[in-house]
Amino acid sequence: MTQAYQVKPDLEFIQEVTQLGGGDVKKCFQCATCAVVCPISPDTRPFPRKEMIATSWGLKDKVVGNADIWLCHNCGDCSTKCPRGAKPGDVLAALRAYAVTEYAIPKALGKAVNDPKKLPILLAIPVVVFIVLGLITGLLNFNPKGDEIVHAHFFSTWLVDLIMVPLSIWAVAVFALGLKRFLADIHQNALIEGKTNQQTIDPKGFVDALIRVIPKILRHDKFNECGENKDRATAHMMVLFGFIGLFIVTSIFFVVLYIFQIHGPYSQLNPVKWLANLSGIALVIGSGLMIKTRLAKKDQITTYKDWQLIGLAFGLGVTGLLTEMTRLGGLAWLSYLLYFIHLVFVFCLFAYVPFTKLAHLVYRTVAMAYAEYAGRK
Amino acid sequence: MSKKYGVYICTGCGIGDALNIDQLCEVAADEGFKAKSHPFLCGKEGVAFLQQEVADGINHMAIAACSRRVNFDIFRFDGCYVDRVNLREQVVWSHPKTQGEEIDHLQMMAEDYLKMSIEKLKKVKMPEAYKLENFTRKILVIGGGITGISAAIDAAKAGYDVTIVEKEAQLGGYAAKVRKQLPLNAPFTDMAQPVLAEKLAELKAMPNITVKTETVVARIAGQPGDFTVTLKKPGEAIEFDVPFPLPPEMRVDENGKELEKDQLIERYKEFNKGKNDILTLDPNGEKFGAVVLAAGWRPYEPKEGEFAHLGWGASSDVVTNHQFEQMAAKGKLVRPSDGKPVKSVVFVQSPGKGDDADFPYTGSVTSLVALKQAKYVREDDPEAKAYIIYEHMRTPGLQEYFYKSIQQDPGIFLTKGEVVSVSKNGNGLVVEADNTLLGEKIQIDADMVVLATGMVPVTADDPVINLAYRQGPGFRDNAIFDQYADSNYICFPYETQRTGIYAAGAIRRSLTMEESIEDAAGAALKAIQCIESANRGVSVHPRYGDMTYPDFFFARCTQCKRCTEECPFGALDDDERGTPKPNPTRCRRCGTCMGACPERIIGFADYNIDTIGSMIKAIGVPTADDYDEPPLRILALVCENDAYPALDMAGLHRCTYSPNVRFIPVRCLGSVNVAWIKEALSKGMDGAFLLGCKHGDDYQCHFVKGSELASIRMRKIGEALASLALEVERVAQFELAIDEFDKVPQIIDDFAAKIEELGPNPFKGF
Repeated sequence: MTQAYQVKPDLEFIQEVTQLGGGDVKKCFQCATCAVVCPISPDTRPFPRKEMIATSWGLKDKVVGNADIWLCHNCGDCSTKCPRGAKPGDVLAALRAYAVTEYAIPKALGKAVNDPKKLPILLAIPVVVFIVLGLITGLLNFNPKGDEIVHAHFFSTWLVDLIMVPLSIWAVAVFALGLKRFLADIHQNALIEGKTNQQTIDPKGFVDALIRVIPKILRHDKFNECGENKDRATAHMMVLFGFIGLFIVTSIFFVVLYIFQIHGPYSQLNPVKWLANLSGIALVIGSGLMIKTRLAKKDQITTYKDWQLIGLAFGLGVTGLLTEMTRLGGLAWLSYLLYFIHLVFVFCLFAYVPFTKLAHLVYRTVAMAYAEYAGRK
Repeated sequence: MSKKYGVYICTGCGIGDALNIDQLCEVAADEGFKAKSHPFLCGKEGVAFLQQEVADGINHMAIAACSRRVNFDIFRFDGCYVDRVNLREQVVWSHPKTQGEEIDHLQMMAEDYLKMSIEKLKKVKMPEAYKLENFTRKILVIGGGITGISAAIDAAKAGYDVTIVEKEAQLGGYAAKVRKQLPLNAPFTDMAQPVLAEKLAELKAMPNITVKTETVVARIAGQPGDFTVTLKKPGEAIEFDVPFPLPPEMRVDENGKELEKDQLIERYKEFNKGKNDILTLDPNGEKFGAVVLAAGWRPYEPKEGEFAHLGWGASSDVVTNHQFEQMAAKGKLVRPSDGKPVKSVVFVQSPGKGDDADFPYTGSVTSLVALKQAKYVREDDPEAKAYIIYEHMRTPGLQEYFYKSIQQDPGIFLTKGEVVSVSKNGNGLVVEADNTLLGEKIQIDADMVVLATGMVPVTADDPVINLAYRQGPGFRDNAIFDQYADSNYICFPYETQRTGIYAAGAIRRSLTMEESIEDAAGAALKAIQCIESANRGVSVHPRYGDMTYPDFFFARCTQCKRCTEECPFGALDDDERGTPKPNPTRCRRCGTCMGACPERIIGFADYNIDTIGSMIKAIGVPTADDYDEPPLRILALVCENDAYPALDMAGLHRCTYSPNVRFIPVRCLGSVNVAWIKEALSKGMDGAFLLGCKHGDDYQCHFVKGSELASIRMRKIGEALASLALEVERVAQFELAIDEFDKVPQIIDDFAAKIEELGPNPFKGF
């Protein structure tokens, strides 16, 4: 390494990381206990020791585009063992939150999503969109007819898809743009720090690596290596599989509706319904467990972004299940209202996901696939 | 006063089981001493029994029991000289009981030790304290900085009259020149306003403190309790300026040959023309009892070309920490080169160049000062950045909290690393550092670079104390302490190599102001202790309370000057002809003079050539007439400070070693006179060894030079032995630290085995 690294500390970056829950980073005195006790850190150039000094020095370029912050699963072993109380686990979580807003565009929306004061506005957007679009198109009927409660009679499926399909395309586009920069950055960083044996990113090789990594993610292999927060794996698994199940159900519903012209609601005997109910319950219990753990754990910092994600998952699950139960219970108006709220959550999920903590679903997967591809050991 | 002897043998602690006590009593009786035994001498009844004996007139007693290092307070009786025979640790605990063998080693050993004690008692005189003719309790404090002020206040509070001499026009020293101080109080996170004003107010309120500014010490003559001090204005030349000894190059002629005595005297007079000799007392001199040396330090000034790789000399924006402190004390920090605001400062803690050593004369102070000064940068501009690149970050004690608080500042960046170069870049500087915690070579743009140069003790430039001592005005061979006024700061803080002079503050080692304030109290107490010992004629540390002092039989003195030159504390002055003049209160009673004297005319009341010589004579040396294979006899002269306790501990841990060795404790290996070794070998003992402290740069000798001098003398005796056809290996010296009791058996047994190999002393039986 002949070229010397130009140190240009960014004091604002330190401040922002502090606000995102990494305020203890400056306490680090570089003993490297964290990197030693971390059960999932690689043997060469292990994290989080180097991320700690780079952050405390305000060297944004060294950490934001660094795949290692995503390899961390916030086990918390480092924070527990840190002799200085610098909480490396929380610092890396803060760095990830910072990275999410850094890669998602437009940045203004990212800022708004991370600002608790903007929450009412963000929630008002879907409400307004639903009502305005519904009234213009006439697809929102405040006086649905018929004895049977059919949510589509109140909030037309056409209207749902008119809004949600472009929204999901938006989410995918935002992710794609972010990922493009992200992947370039983490590769560049790996090259500089000598963490890879690959000079370029070969798409086929990368996809192969991704395929190898996905089963590991589903099995929560890394989570299970954790020492401190091992029990988190169960809750996380429930939420993850809940989301996956609901994604499958929604996809089937979509295909069946547009190709076979069959409308919902499905019978409770339908296996798709079974999957939907099971996934909803998993989501509620999983996110409920997370709330319980977060409330009980005093030494770990829980920030707005954490509550935001857990709240979204919990809200989605609860309103979904309640909508179904009130429908079966014949409480028409309550059911319609809950359905409306449920759709607000769905809107938030699609519209804001690239800016929230949930984006880790994408970034961590990509980072893990990259590490697999790059031969990080 | 006639001597009345008593011998008391304790049979407790296993002594009675291992030894034939009746036989031991008979040994004493043979010498005309009545011996009594008791099962538990240190118990209530035992002590009462001894007290009764003393009341009945016994004034010299041998207590054959445990080591002299235990129960010394119990076996102390007014008007009675007590000698201890170490039957417990050195005999029964460190040797297995001999059963059914031809030779009862254990009994022989006990009998020898008892006989040695009896001989000693016959020779000792009751110590009588030396009384000073004049005595004063006043304390002189040299240096009016924060340390001197604090020491004066502490001593004055204890009721002593104090005079502070300060060479500057004002008191305060460096404490008057700083912007802020390191934290003084809990929670130790924030810098404090300088405390000098407070201290000065406290000083002013003290009626028994005299302050003399623009004053330095011309000379200090005399001895503790009775120093005669001449003061003068700085730069003045007066007749009572202290004379300096001839430097080595002036002691030889053109051919490098040592000059004759008379020529030397001539040259010395020439060299010190206009100055009175050390033995001439200033009639107008002020009297002091003890001195606190708090003359402090001066900032290290890098020489031209030094630290060129760090930009020193090339840019006015590269400054020392001292210069930076002065800039900060003046007001808002600006760049020296162009007066622009300072946005980025790099503090360089170590000169680098592949060496992790810090700058000369640094320590934890330079680490703490860098933290403090980094905070100045941030105080003056919240946007500014301060970088500290260190090889060592030392923040001892509660200052760790200060380090933590500085760490928390988002604009202060710390890393271990080696600064490779500082170079100019436009108007600014670029600092390049390698091996940093960031894992690579880094470059930092800086407006200023601060070098953490050290605090040079003023004793590096000047003797300061200007002692009118024959060995010279300053501390001798002070290079091993890097010129700090010190003798061993771990074992003997505040002690210098001169009795009655106690160093405090940065003259002793680099200390912060906060540490110096505390240090001052220590030195003040030492000075008081010295005064309160001198007045009673007892020794100070480490032989505290010892009433003996060296006595000279001048009629036989050959004026060889060895005692004057070898005394580690410069206690002896000599006149023009070389006759030593003792100064008993300067003396620490180590006996190095006694070991040095070829005429054997120096001794102490209970410790002299004769007492130890008689003990050696008392050791039984079995010959071929007594046994077919007579056991060897080895003499061991053991330093009482470290080696003797290590032997006791070896006994306590039941370590066993050769029973053929006889130990005699000595005050210091420096006091060992070669006459004793010759005595032992000429009476047929097979070998002799010295067991004492480590010497050299990291010496552990309580008397600085004792073990080193002994090693030189032992080397010389080797030559003498060779001329007697005795193997030089028969005499050896071993180093033993107090915690190395586990090494005792090996040292002794290896030596015994070597002697065994050499065979018995051919002089045996003559």
